[in-house]
Amino acid sequence: MEQTRKDSRGIERRQGKYACTFHVNGEEVSIEASPMDRVVDLLRDRMHETGTKISCGIGRCGACSIWLDGRLTSSCLLLAYQVEGKEVTTIEGIGTEERCSIVQEAFMNEGGFQCGYCTPGMIMATESLLRHTPDPDDEQIREGLSGNICRCTGYSGIIRAVRAASVNLQ
Amino acid sequence: MKQPEYQRRPDAAPKVTGALKYLTDRFEENMLIGKVLRSEYPHARIKKIDTSAAEALPGIHAVLTHHDVPGLNRFGIVTPDQPVFCEDRVRYTGDAVAAVAAESAEAADQALAAVIVEYEPLPVLDSVEKALDPEAELLHEAGNILHEAYYTRGNLQEGFAGCTSIVEETYQLPRQMHGYMETEGGVVVPEKDGGISVYMATQHGFKDRFQLSRILDAPEEKIRIISSPIGGSFGGKDELNLQPYGALLALKAGLPVRVHNTREESVRAGLKRHPMAITMRTGADENGRVLAHETTIYADTGAYATLGPAILEFAVEHASGLYPIPNIATTGVSVFTNNGVAGEFRGFGGNQVTFALEGQMDRLAERLGMEGAELRAKNMRKPSDAGPLGQEIAPTDGGRMILEDVTAWQQLPLSNAGETPWVKNGRGGAVSMHGGGLGYGRLDPSGGRLALTKEGKLEAAFGFEECGQGIAAVIETVMKDTFSCHEEDIEITIGDTNKVPVSGSTTASRGTGMVWTAVENMKDSFRRQLLAEASRVTATAAADLYLGAGGVHKIGTEPSLFLSYKALAEYVQEGDIETHTAFDFPVTPDEIDSGHYLYSFGGVSAEVEVNLLTGTVRVLDLKQSVSAGPVMYPQGYRGQIEGGGIMALGYTLMEDAVMDEGRYQTENFDTYLMPGVKDLPDNVTVKPREEVMEGDIHGPRGVGEIGTIAVAPAIAEAIYQAIGARPHKLPVSREWVLQQIQQRGLLPWNKPEKIPGG
Repeated sequence: MEQTRKDSRGIERRQGKYACTFHVNGEEVSIEASPMDRVVDLLRDRMHETGTKISCGIGRCGACSIWLDGRLTSSCLLLAYQVEGKEVTTIEGIGTEERCSIVQEAFMNEGGFQCGYCTPGMIMATESLLRHTPDPDDEQIREGLSGNICRCTGYSGIIRAVRAASVNLQ
Repeated sequence: MKQPEYQRRPDAAPKVTGALKYLTDRFEENMLIGKVLRSEYPHARIKKIDTSAAEALPGIHAVLTHHDVPGLNRFGIVTPDQPVFCEDRVRYTGDAVAAVAAESAEAADQALAAVIVEYEPLPVLDSVEKALDPEAELLHEAGNILHEAYYTRGNLQEGFAGCTSIVEETYQLPRQMHGYMETEGGVVVPEKDGGISVYMATQHGFKDRFQLSRILDAPEEKIRIISSPIGGSFGGKDELNLQPYGALLALKAGLPVRVHNTREESVRAGLKRHPMAITMRTGADENGRVLAHETTIYADTGAYATLGPAILEFAVEHASGLYPIPNIATTGVSVFTNNGVAGEFRGFGGNQVTFALEGQMDRLAERLGMEGAELRAKNMRKPSDAGPLGQEIAPTDGGRMILEDVTAWQQLPLSNAGETPWVKNGRGGAVSMHGGGLGYGRLDPSGGRLALTKEGKLEAAFGFEECGQGIAAVIETVMKDTFSCHEEDIEITIGDTNKVPVSGSTTASRGTGMVWTAVENMKDSFRRQLLAEASRVTATAAADLYLGAGGVHKIGTEPSLFLSYKALAEYVQEGDIETHTAFDFPVTPDEIDSGHYLYSFGGVSAEVEVNLLTGTVRVLDLKQSVSAGPVMYPQGYRGQIEGGGIMALGYTLMEDAVMDEGRYQTENFDTYLMPGVKDLPDNVTVKPREEVMEGDIHGPRGVGEIGTIAVAPAIAEAIYQAIGARPHKLPVSREWVLQQIQQRGLLPWNKPEKIPGG
């Protein structure tokens, strides 16, 4: 499938599909993809890992948040070639229904979700925040979640959840 | 509040882990991707549609136009006036012209691009004024007025003649977008029997089934609607959206088809809140008794009806709100335009008209030299007063209770008064009254079913959808309270027309009350059946048995669990222990169309800070007092009010889906700004006032909407208290605020003596 051609500057470019190899939640995956495929589509449509959501598609709402080598990022703005050889962590890698993370427990206890569609992204952002800033103040919480939109809760329950998780993690 | 706040919702773990499959997450083998071609013009004649090139492309399984609709080529919950596919004319840029099903999204996009549509553009009626021009082209056969609604009582002229203070203002309300995070979509699967299964969000599965039956010319029994869970709706998924295209494409292709709007498609085709221009003239005598109130409402309903008439009637009904004013004249006109379709949205016309009404009360109070709370108290309804249309309503003291809280909150000190010279703070309060259910004269059935399943679960089945509001948690709570069972004993069945009874729509703040009422109706019969069967199979007197966690318990034994539900289920056939109820939402006995019977009340206190340099308004404190009967599920109740409050904060300060010449000037969340976490006030308080009148039999009222109603007028009054200018147009723009600041000379450099440090 993989083809190469030279672009106008004489640089060799890959064309067509190729085996895109990266790690998802610790497991190596290899998917036939175009380098320009969105990672959110690879996750959802090819791997059926639908915990990662798609909402705005322009990196504004955070519903598709994942970690790339541990860094919080929007998977709708990430292309297949950018994850080659890297480690992707999705909500499926955070916890399961039987074994939820402390952050997930806090979201359940404090009313940190309603429809739940923003929740996986919100939890990826919260987990990321608390790993870097275990005891965040209000400003740091707001900064840490400022890339994620929730239309249901009005954020109060989410902030309660982040505070509770921060306490329980210590 | 009975349960601890941290009682988890039944859908908690699947949601926080991402394990929950939403309908747009669904995948089927051999599934095709469906896409819809929308109009290039807000208003045009279609001269030609040529799909031949699209059909010839590889990987295309179906290309559909109006020729391919077997039944009625129209939809609309009440009035089917919106074309599934336009034949000869488009009326807004969301109008559908063709649809394709392809093996990939790329192939579908290419096919849409290959459909040739020739248009002849027509003049764009992009405002109510243009649409009402006698020379204007008619958008529909019956004209450009969708609906008119009136209410009068007393004698307006005489009323105003007795007034010493009269205020008049025109309020302008924006086109708010629902902004549900999950856009419309799902999967339609053709079944072996020729029928279809429609896995797509809606707020009323049976209504979708009825509408699709009409479009497909297929019996309703052949159509199964699976409509839950939903990633947010707020009214926006009440009307059909992509269902007809998914269904027609799946039937034509003979394969499952997924359709899922991108955000841009959702913005273009989806419903919005009605923009309204509301003029009110309100007068009071020297004692502050409001004697006369005149209201004219113009609503821009866009290209098609959906529930536009009912929304207008709701606005007309609520124009006098909690105040039994003796002389009233209210006129409402809902007008077709070439703007996007306006329709169902949390609050249903109440948000717009309450902003105007409460704005009038504050203006009038100032004219009279009174506090706003004092004027409201003088004119507040009494428990036995008639409803706003003069109809008998369930007696309620909710208005007085919430006003009591708002009045007390107005006395709180401002949080940083005078600390920073270029920041001014202010606090404002407002109250609201909101009808639940669909109103007199509208079919509003409800019902439910309880059964012991063969697995030994207590099944509670309702025709409601879980769109995030927490109906599943309400069902679980009511079941636990009623039957003293454990959550593991309960199986909740919702959102599937093949499995649920008719419960009516998941709208109009009705779900919680209907679940409670249904279980009240069924509990004695269900308990009796369970105990009788347990008595029979164990040869024990029924009088010694009672229901508890895990099954049937026996008095005087230790442990008391005597026969588990699982064991009991082994003795009976499915359906042996089952009870049903069917009833109507309570309505007023007075024959007054659209009048409501059960009302909830919401009072809001808001503190803002206005930055005089930037014009930024920040809400620091948002307190809501709610009277809606007893709280069923505290976490859900609180979440509805908190979330509704912030949605309304967006409506007040930032949200407007601006249109220019019939085209949206926003297509995604980069230009349509909804509140983010940084817009959240430092303090958000929810205070339920659970008391109901003695003898009240109606239980909980539902709080899906009430937290959104009185927020805007409270914030507007707070802005006035801060800078001395009264907003009459939402959202309150920074430009407007700066202009007011400049006009009033509030800037520090206009007053050199107050320059900080200078």
